[in-house]
Amino acid sequence: MDSYFITVIIAGVIAGASTGMLGAFIIGLRMPFIGTCISHASMAGFIWGGLLSFNNPTLWPITTSLGGIVASIISALSLATIREDKTRLDKNVGLAIIFCFMLGITFLGLGLNQGSRTDMLGLLWGNILFVNTTRTITIAVLAVLLVLFVVLFNKEMKVLLFSRSIAAATGVHESFVYSIFLTLCGIILAVNMPLIGGLMIFSLITCPAAAAYQICKGYVPVVITSACFGMLSTLAGFFISYYLNLPTGACIVIVSVVIFALTTLYKHISGQND
Amino acid sequence: MISGNLLLTHINIVRSGKVILNIENLQINSGDFLGIIGTNGAGKTTLLRLCCGLIKPNKGTIKLDDINLTNLNAWKKSDFRKHIGYIPQQAEYNPDLPFTLREVVAMGRTSIKPLLQRLDNNDYEIVDEWIDKLGLADNRNQTFRSLSGGEQQKALIARAMSQNPSILMLDEPCSNLDFNWKYQITDIIEQLYNITKVTVLMVSHETSLLPSCCNRAILMHKGSLIADGDTDNVLESSEFQQAYGSQFETVTLGGRRYTIRK
Repeated sequence: MDSYFITVIIAGVIAGASTGMLGAFIIGLRMPFIGTCISHASMAGFIWGGLLSFNNPTLWPITTSLGGIVASIISALSLATIREDKTRLDKNVGLAIIFCFMLGITFLGLGLNQGSRTDMLGLLWGNILFVNTTRTITIAVLAVLLVLFVVLFNKEMKVLLFSRSIAAATGVHESFVYSIFLTLCGIILAVNMPLIGGLMIFSLITCPAAAAYQICKGYVPVVITSACFGMLSTLAGFFISYYLNLPTGACIVIVSVVIFALTTLYKHISGQND
Repeated sequence: MISGNLLLTHINIVRSGKVILNIENLQINSGDFLGIIGTNGAGKTTLLRLCCGLIKPNKGTIKLDDINLTNLNAWKKSDFRKHIGYIPQQAEYNPDLPFTLREVVAMGRTSIKPLLQRLDNNDYEIVDEWIDKLGLADNRNQTFRSLSGGEQQKALIARAMSQNPSILMLDEPCSNLDFNWKYQITDIIEQLYNITKVTVLMVSHETSLLPSCCNRAILMHKGSLIADGDTDNVLESSEFQQAYGSQFETVTLGGRRYTIRK
């Protein structure tokens, strides 16, 4: 195994852990579709960032990354403005509308693009060739930021997951904390997406967290187990794809679904009660 | 600490061109137990959510003690809301999360603590005290989702009380409960009120669920406040008969007021 693959594994494991951890909150907030929405926003930003580089190879990596992050943050924060109790708009319907808009912007950018579309389409499925030391460090720094956020805003996030109405009515600064969470969510998903893929990231948000919710009791165990399951999904997925010469993204997705299936089975067989 | 006086003046809420709440003047004094009754869609929950600051009026002012909440920015408004204990209807919280009962009750301490500050032993002592007071000691480490509806409601009351609120707002706290639990929950609310004398605003569809300590009631109809006064007088008023469109009689049995159709 060469050193490049080790870098890929490290990046993948950290990305899996941070996406899994994010998933614990996203599933708790009952908005799993956010992963697909933000990853498409990121893709739109990536494509338009590429267009704005005017085929300058020095500018290209900077404009594409910035474009992806900015578009993700904008789409994530658009969600913060949707208050179900005020607008009577379900947050998942809001997500779907932002998703459709981002999809339109993405394909408009693709249509305007004169050069190769391989890199851009690679964002859909993920490509380990996007991994380099700089991106690995970025992914690691963001993972540390996420852990810090979870520790510092632990008590507020618990109430937010339980009920935004209770949080708002009883004086928790829920809009502030929710906006920070969504911003972090946007940045992490945008940075992790080229590695995992816009379509695959959805499974890493949903499956590890759903599996953790099946077998855990209490907030902290859910968050930690979800991160561990995310890490396990990417690690096992990478090894299976490496040794069996199979597509990496697909292996990660399948492993994450298998983990969910096993936890459900375990809960059923063990008769585990709360 | 605030005393819990609430004053609503010239309140008007319009949604999609329809007036959903129109209140000229409503004063709730510290220590009042106010029952909010009315037909479906009368604006009871809207009134409660307005008092919590969850919705903004198109016109009018809401004063908590002498502070005009409508003039405050969102951050400062939040700081005042930490004095409000709120128990919503079931649809407003996610009962499927695997949080333990202790974690749910501890949520009441969240707004008391500044941002970035963790709950300490003192907070958990208060949390455990309320869990014990409400007879939930055996369920302390059980998940909230595995509790019965009545136990969940008790846990939410413990959560609100651990916040040490000046005002307690309850939105149909007994809906979806069997009749035995309904009476148990109202008994608990009455006991809490008698001990703490916290200002209580309680929405209820059933007059029998307003505790005997509920000394004042308001009757809502089509977004307006049509009767306000002593609970027994409101239940016997002509406005009450008009609002429900039928002739009713209120009978008091064991301190509870049962309204029956003639």
